[in-house]
Amino acid sequence: MTVSALTRPGERDRLVVKFSEIDWVFCLALCLIAGAGGVMLFSIAGSSWEPWAINHLSRFGLCFFLMIGLAMIDLRVWFALAYPVYGAGLLLLVAVEAVGDVRLGAQRWLDLGFMSFQPSEVMKVGIVMALARFYHGLSAESARMSWWLLVPAIMIAAPVLLVAHQPDLGTALLITMTGVAIVVMAGLSWRIIGIGVLALAAAIPPFVLFVLHDYQRARVMTFLDPESDPSGSGYHILQSKIALGSGGLLGKGYGLGSQSQLNFLPEKQTDFIFATLAEEFGFVGCVSVLILYAAVIFMSLRTAYLSHSHFGRLAAAGLTATFTLYVLINGAMVMGLAPVVGVPMPLLSYGGTVMLTVMIGFGLVQSVRVHRYSEVTSGKGALL
Amino acid sequence: MTEPSIFFHEVNERQGLFHRRAFLLGGVAGLGLTALGARLAHLQLLETRRYEQLAVSNQFNFKLVPPPRGLILDRNGVILASNRPNFRLLVAHDGDLSPKATLKTLAQFVPLDADRQARLARDISRSPRRTPVSVMEDMSWEQFSAINIRAPELPGVTADMGEVRVYPHGGTFAHVIGYVAKVNKEDLRPAGPNADPILLHPGFRIGRQGVEEAFDLDLRGKPGAQKVQVDANGREVHHDPDGDIPAIPGKEIQLTLDVDVQNRALEVFGEESGGAVMIDCRTGDILCMLSAPSFDANRFVRGLQGAEYRALANYERKPLLDKCLSGTYPPGSTFKTMTAMAALTAGVDPEGRVFCGGGLGFGGRYFRCHKPGGHGSQNMRDALKNSCDVYFYTVAARIGPDRIAKVAEQFGFGQTFDIGIPGQKKGIVPSTEWVRKHRPKDPKWHPGESLSYGIGQGMLTVNALQLAVMTARLANGKKALNPRLIRSVGGRELPSGAEAPDLPFDPEHIAYVRAGMAAVTEAGGTGYRASQLGLGDVLMAGKTGTAQVFSYKAGMARGKGGAWRLRDHGLFVAFAPIDEPRYALSVIVQHGMGGSTAAAPRAREIMRVALLKDPEIRARIEKPLPMPEMVPDEGLNEVPEAPTVIEPPLAATRAAGVPPRGAGGPA
Repeated sequence: MTVSALTRPGERDRLVVKFSEIDWVFCLALCLIAGAGGVMLFSIAGSSWEPWAINHLSRFGLCFFLMIGLAMIDLRVWFALAYPVYGAGLLLLVAVEAVGDVRLGAQRWLDLGFMSFQPSEVMKVGIVMALARFYHGLSAESARMSWWLLVPAIMIAAPVLLVAHQPDLGTALLITMTGVAIVVMAGLSWRIIGIGVLALAAAIPPFVLFVLHDYQRARVMTFLDPESDPSGSGYHILQSKIALGSGGLLGKGYGLGSQSQLNFLPEKQTDFIFATLAEEFGFVGCVSVLILYAAVIFMSLRTAYLSHSHFGRLAAAGLTATFTLYVLINGAMVMGLAPVVGVPMPLLSYGGTVMLTVMIGFGLVQSVRVHRYSEVTSGKGALL
Repeated sequence: MTEPSIFFHEVNERQGLFHRRAFLLGGVAGLGLTALGARLAHLQLLETRRYEQLAVSNQFNFKLVPPPRGLILDRNGVILASNRPNFRLLVAHDGDLSPKATLKTLAQFVPLDADRQARLARDISRSPRRTPVSVMEDMSWEQFSAINIRAPELPGVTADMGEVRVYPHGGTFAHVIGYVAKVNKEDLRPAGPNADPILLHPGFRIGRQGVEEAFDLDLRGKPGAQKVQVDANGREVHHDPDGDIPAIPGKEIQLTLDVDVQNRALEVFGEESGGAVMIDCRTGDILCMLSAPSFDANRFVRGLQGAEYRALANYERKPLLDKCLSGTYPPGSTFKTMTAMAALTAGVDPEGRVFCGGGLGFGGRYFRCHKPGGHGSQNMRDALKNSCDVYFYTVAARIGPDRIAKVAEQFGFGQTFDIGIPGQKKGIVPSTEWVRKHRPKDPKWHPGESLSYGIGQGMLTVNALQLAVMTARLANGKKALNPRLIRSVGGRELPSGAEAPDLPFDPEHIAYVRAGMAAVTEAGGTGYRASQLGLGDVLMAGKTGTAQVFSYKAGMARGKGGAWRLRDHGLFVAFAPIDEPRYALSVIVQHGMGGSTAAAPRAREIMRVALLKDPEIRARIEKPLPMPEMVPDEGLNEVPEAPTVIEPPLAATRAAGVPPRGAGGPA
């Protein structure tokens, strides 16, 4: 198949053509990252497939097929689903506010009987789709600076406020930053960006002091001075740094990380799995995984460049931004550069919900790639 | 798609803008990842060593191992205090674990009532994280194994084997040796030996009272350590025997006490209250130092229940008080030996006679003799033998208090001795100077006070050890012996009590007083009946004493009955054998009513054990009876090897193998 096949309307709708157009190198990188996660989960369970590694790998397998399947879905379908998904996500967030389970002190989970999930995860994809859908019908001039921009502002603010109220600051932050990234990439005026940055800088101290919950404030304070409370909230950061630092160049060896094997490392299978990896495989292992992440990010971003539709572009770029934020926030947290927020390392950390979200997102990214020459009509204006 | 031209224009503009902006995203991502890589390089390549150390200190702990406490032995090496294995149950609190729930679970295996559970739960939550608190000591093997098997399901619970102090002789040595107990907050010091972290170990015990307290640091030893790998919850994962530091056991302390003498002393006291001290008159070694009634030190090691402690503390006969060292009593007539010494030193002729008519009028008061009819004419020897008060009133009045005080001090009264353990009370040896200093309201010595002083009453108070030292010095006759209780510490022998200056007295004077004490136990003496040892020619000399503790009004029974606490003290000092003294002894029976009736018989029993244990004395007692004088029978020299039996002639023809016959045989 040649790329030119995609330009021919009859040809490009054939499944085989679509299938061959999936970025298989990108898929390989994803598999390698998830595989590395499985390897680490096997190690920290004391060389056992149970309870994490087997689940992780089988989930990834399922999610991988889901991604391929989603990649086959026409971009126009995605386009049509953008607002419904966003709306459903918003409704679920309201629902979780009303009837959600309180786990670990935060109201994040919705119990569906057979499984429980976090509606905020739906919103991570939903916000990207909705914003891409909105900007698809907006002129460059309006996207730069106009009253129309109040719509994306509300689109972002609504889920963020609901998620922050749960309270799940990590996700709220992630949604905000993803949304802002899309708004900026869609062409927001530099002047507004400059004013926003200044306003943000001015707002941070009062926000930390008056809006945050005690435990959240404690985390921030601890981050600023981790040695102040080594056994309390500084414990996570300190232990994580010890795990990283003691790994050295080549690591302590597979299954030999004392910090993770002896439970000094908290949340070793989820948020701090990167520290486990760092301890057992050292600098070399860490940099290899970071390179894989970089590869995924740049291949994903390249898909955005390839897309001929504005919806495709912004969707792929927005999802790339989400993924990048995951990696950077988790990495910074593990390395003691950011406060502890509950953001996992995507595909590496154990946890089904995030993996599902990320892989659905990549399904959309691959769909953008597969349907990069499709025309997506703007419908009637920006909102409809 | 209303206006294609605008559409394309729009598309191109939006696309170009997006491409520029998306490049920004790529830049941010690249920069962020590079920053992470740089941070990794900093942590993993530059600061590796620091974090490696932190990781090691995270996972390896040195677990302190308390050293075995030093043994305490008697003079013959019999164990007076040792350690025995003890199955302990320890619970440490650890973050999210609720001590209450844990204790409830444990109550299924070991007896823990609700009160105790509540108290322990408080203790556990108050103690520092991961510092275990002892929940139960001395579990049975069944309890120990039941809990040990379930330990993995019970976070923070450990059942281990430690050591606990044991006193095989129970209460016999309780006052001398003391006991060990849990460390209090007050024991901990920021610096010095009591800052040692081993004090926080739940198996560690600190010495309280007596030898255990005074030699605590010697007995402690040096804690060892076990190198263990622990997980984040402090749970032991792996023990590395190569990294262990062995504990150094505490030093062994040998006392001069003799277990048999001491045990006999406790026996003979029965329910009576008092003290007995025996000193070897040649070396100053204390063979016996018993305070009765006593208490079982083992109960204090376990931790005494409140009610049990109150019972001991409130009992009238004060088991917790050491009556040998801390209790001071008027010595009564036993002090007449000192008055006699002072008189002899002052030049009073011992053969000078004083008439005793049953009392003496002095300074407008009438001083009674204990014998209502009087003793008649008495010289010093008679006066000691009969314990005649009038004689000593007279003599004391003549020589005055200061001479008596000087002699008393030279014989060991009014002072404490360096015997290694705390708790000695000096007592009071009054003199004109003492009165001036300590009786500011009435600083002048009244002549009448000398009379009481002469018979060991009045302000004079002494303890049982001082009485024994006095007797030992009298019996020794030469040296101002010092008592010694601690024979050796960790194999290093302490100086003997005989390394002391000579007594500044004329040996003849001492011999005279000793002869007087010998007369006490002769027929007719106050201690005759109670002082017969029944060991042949090994005899005991002594001096009885009955000390008044209460000023009786006319018509009252004179301390011979009534309320226990108002009765007279019975005292007896003794040494034996008379001809070459070896053991000196003082016995005080608090409110025992009479020296000859309460103290002397007990002294006799204690003395007998000491004498019978002495191989030289035994040899003397068991000396075979001299063989009767016999004329050597010349004929016996020619006795044949075999007995001369006249056999019937027939027997001679018996079978072979019959031993050779005597000369008379037919063979």
